[in-house]
Amino acid sequence: MSAQTLDRVAPAASSTAARAVALTKTYGAGDAAVTALDHVSVALERARLTAVMGPSGSGKSTLMHCMAGLDVPTSGRAMIGEQEIGELNDRALTQLRRDRIGFVFQSFNLVPTLTAAENITLAADLAGATVDRDWFGQLVGQLGIADRLSHHPRELSGGQQQRVACARALLGRPELIFADEPTGNLDSSASAQLLSFIRRAVDEHGQSIVMVTHDPRAAAYADRVIFLADGAVAGEILAPTADSVIEEMKRLGG
Amino acid sequence: MLAVTLKGLAARKLRLALTALAIVLGVTFVTGTLVLGDTLNRTFNTVIGTAYQHVSFEIRSTSAFNSDAAALDGSAYRKPIPESIATAVRRLPGVSYVYGAVGGYAQFMARDDDAIGGGGTSTLGFSFDPNPRLSPYRLVAGAAPTTDDDVVMDRATATKHHFAVGDRVLINLPNRPQRFTITGLVTFGSANALAGITLAGFDSSTAQRLFNAAGHYDTIDVLAAPGADNVALQRAIARLLPRGVEVVTGQAVSDQLSAAVDHELSFISKLLLIFALVSLFVGGFTIFNTFSITVGQRTRELALLRVVGASRQQVFRSVLVEAALTGVVASLIGLGLGVLAALGLRALLSAFGVTLPSEPLVFAARTPIVAIAVGVGVTVVSAIVPARRAVRIPAVAALCDQDEDQSRPLRLRRLAGGGAIAAAGVIAVVWGLTRPSTALEGIGALAVFVAAAMLVPILARPLSGAIGRPLASLFGTPGRLGRRNSMRNPRRTSQTAAALMIGLALVSSVAVLGSSLSTSAAASVDSAINADYIVTGSGGFSRSVTAAVSRLHGVSTTNAIYQGQFAFRGAVSRLTAASPVRLSQTVNLHATAGAAAAAMERGQLLVDTNTAAADHLHVGMVVPVTFAQTGLTRLRIGAIIRPNPLVGSFVVGDGLFLAHFDDPLPVAVLLRTARGATGVPRALNRALLPYANVGFDSRAGFERSQKRSVKKELGLIYVLLALAIVIALIGIVNTLMLSVFERTREIGLLRAVGMSRRQVRTMIRSESVIVSLLGAVIGVAIGTGLGIALASSLRLHGVTEISVPLPSLIGLLFLSAVLGLAAAGWPARRAARLDVLGAIATE
Repeated sequence: MSAQTLDRVAPAASSTAARAVALTKTYGAGDAAVTALDHVSVALERARLTAVMGPSGSGKSTLMHCMAGLDVPTSGRAMIGEQEIGELNDRALTQLRRDRIGFVFQSFNLVPTLTAAENITLAADLAGATVDRDWFGQLVGQLGIADRLSHHPRELSGGQQQRVACARALLGRPELIFADEPTGNLDSSASAQLLSFIRRAVDEHGQSIVMVTHDPRAAAYADRVIFLADGAVAGEILAPTADSVIEEMKRLGG
Repeated sequence: MLAVTLKGLAARKLRLALTALAIVLGVTFVTGTLVLGDTLNRTFNTVIGTAYQHVSFEIRSTSAFNSDAAALDGSAYRKPIPESIATAVRRLPGVSYVYGAVGGYAQFMARDDDAIGGGGTSTLGFSFDPNPRLSPYRLVAGAAPTTDDDVVMDRATATKHHFAVGDRVLINLPNRPQRFTITGLVTFGSANALAGITLAGFDSSTAQRLFNAAGHYDTIDVLAAPGADNVALQRAIARLLPRGVEVVTGQAVSDQLSAAVDHELSFISKLLLIFALVSLFVGGFTIFNTFSITVGQRTRELALLRVVGASRQQVFRSVLVEAALTGVVASLIGLGLGVLAALGLRALLSAFGVTLPSEPLVFAARTPIVAIAVGVGVTVVSAIVPARRAVRIPAVAALCDQDEDQSRPLRLRRLAGGGAIAAAGVIAVVWGLTRPSTALEGIGALAVFVAAAMLVPILARPLSGAIGRPLASLFGTPGRLGRRNSMRNPRRTSQTAAALMIGLALVSSVAVLGSSLSTSAAASVDSAINADYIVTGSGGFSRSVTAAVSRLHGVSTTNAIYQGQFAFRGAVSRLTAASPVRLSQTVNLHATAGAAAAAMERGQLLVDTNTAAADHLHVGMVVPVTFAQTGLTRLRIGAIIRPNPLVGSFVVGDGLFLAHFDDPLPVAVLLRTARGATGVPRALNRALLPYANVGFDSRAGFERSQKRSVKKELGLIYVLLALAIVIALIGIVNTLMLSVFERTREIGLLRAVGMSRRQVRTMIRSESVIVSLLGAVIGVAIGTGLGIALASSLRLHGVTEISVPLPSLIGLLFLSAVLGLAAAGWPARRAARLDVLGAIATE
């Protein structure tokens, strides 16, 4: 991570893109209550790629959903920038998702009736905003989907679909992109392609991204890996490699 | 396997409820129709049974006609018979009691001088027989009429219009209106009234005078003494009778009447039943569509069943059993609601001027059988194709992802099949129109609808794309998404639209037909008559009206018009009569051969060019015709006239008419005013004051009222078709709900990337409006074609102008868009309320 990259980040009041403070989420009640998140506090830095890892049921998806305003925590606070999400009604949440957050899911990222280009500009179109054509051209060029723009999702490969989804998430230059197992359905070469692009978006454009994954090789692309276990933060690695991630997972798993 | 089916049913409650609703409404309509029909039949048969309960024999003049009309309205078709016959019969041994009866038009006027009852035969005047041995009328208050100032009234009319014994009442009679004193109230048997008919009973000689039958009776009823030999008695009576008079048993008369009433009523029942079947047909589409979609959505579940060892047969049966169970439940609910619907239909018909008696409903045993059989049948038949599709699902599908867009390509076979059915349908319609055969027309129209439903998928994509374009630009991205959604599965879109298509095709064909009818009616008034004013009354009116209006200052010519039936070349046809005196002042009869007025003067027959051409008739020919009362006569054709829908195909002078019809009432009086005459309307108003059932119109006003009456008749048809449209809308709601359910994840994604709830609603509504408009556009196009075909086939029946009511048809399209918007209400709300996270997580 070069100093040059950090310089590109806007002089924000704080260097965090999003924060969770004592976030707790319980499902059910009484004896049957299951605690998915137990007072989790994390801060996601700007212009960084943060990976969240953990075994199934560790609460990593719940954490992401709560921080993105898709799920409502039982207690604690989630913030995007300085905006407290819990205070927002549905209309404001929708606006927040449209204007300040980007999403890349594991599958079903695209609207089947829209072309690749229309999928990319969907959020802007919904907002009635004008699309930055230069930025659009730059994105599709870098992602290698410029010749696929008029295709419908079913005519695209899985890797191409995920790259279109990435372009959609990046187009609005959101404060933070949530990527939920973005490579979960891809083969290794398509995964590598997508991950290097995500890396580039962080490095070259100062995009903040948080990525939930359980693939150590994917996590190795991150600046920082946060490990969750049983609904709590269990560890953290900076500048990870695939090996160091596997080590840490073994430690936690054992 | 049944358990699996049942569990599946329970799990899909909502979808099922919506599907069932389509069948519930159809069965409700069918049940209502059957119950109403049975009720009417029972009511009238009870009336007839009561009337002829004690009559051993009836003596009457013979009628050349054996038609229903002749059975129902005897006095118009049979001559009166001399009183002396009654005297002679009374002397015969074995005869216990004899009563000669006279009847005719007698319409009570309410206290506010409004006419009571519908006129014609629904306002019955009769000679009241105080002796209860034969009479079905029972005196329940006061006394029988004895002087020429007395009348008895039916209790129902008295109660409804606040008359009591001792009151004076104005009655319109064949000759002139007259005031009477009410001496008593009567009932018909134990019923308050006679199936909605008002009753005015006079003493025998007064009735004879009022109904212009001095010294005569219409019929003579005979009661045989106990133990008399009826066969011998009938033979003895017959020996007394002059030529043209017959004696029949009371049973025979009552049977004839019953048959005639049943036949008349069956028309109403059949009409209603046709609309009920249309509703069910549309409901069938909804079911077909629902099952197609659910089979598609359950591909994985059904394939899993196959994986674990269910046979194709079992899968097939499970879908059909589901359909059958849905059908049974829906039919049972529909059956219950149908009883209410019968009441509603009765109210509806009477709101449109069809007066029906309000007796307790009759629930015949065959009603539930027919209703359930039809409901279950339609459901199961509609589910057969989807069930066969379910059978073809390979077991491996359990392991694959499903995608609604994997719609199978539209095969050439469909195109060829649809084309063939469409061609056959059009041929059937055209052939049916020329025959004419309503059944053939109906089957043809049905085939056209099925073919359209088969072919619409081919058109659906480009058409919904075109319809959706303005919406997309109006509503931005959500509109565009709605448009794409309507195009993504043409098969589903078109099946949904097909139901609405049928409803709107029928509505617009009726609109075209109605517009043509009313335009033709208005045009015919203009070309048919020259008169400045037209005096009309429902079912004929007192003869004194003619004299009263001809006396008015400013009126230069009057012409009383009569109408009756006669048989021409075996077919009973309408015959119109007018006075030939100064004919051209009032009626336009353009003769293409011969001279109209002169021919009428000579007692010759005028036929229109259509009839002349069809039957190869020309001036000077002598043709045999039959009159009900006077039998076979030969008439010379005196002139050929241009078709004049108002007078009909056959015209004679009033002299000839009055010679063959006993005591007919005028149906209209035409007036010509003197040049520059003023104040005629005011004078007419005053002169017609005593005749509350009679009104007048200027020629322009008459044109308008002709148009109005066409509109009123069409109104009833529109209301009956509305149900089919409601069912089609339920189909749209159903499909949208299923689509929303199916696209849960997609909607979740859209919400996640920033689509607002309002935008979700707009998206669903846009799709719904597009689907509705698709059905509407095709339906209106087909309906306009059908309507034009129907109207042109009626050229000989007075539809001379074809008129396509563009504003109404465009209004229909607009209405469809609004209905589509309404149909989207619930699915759109449901989609907007989807929990984003839950939707994304949906597998």
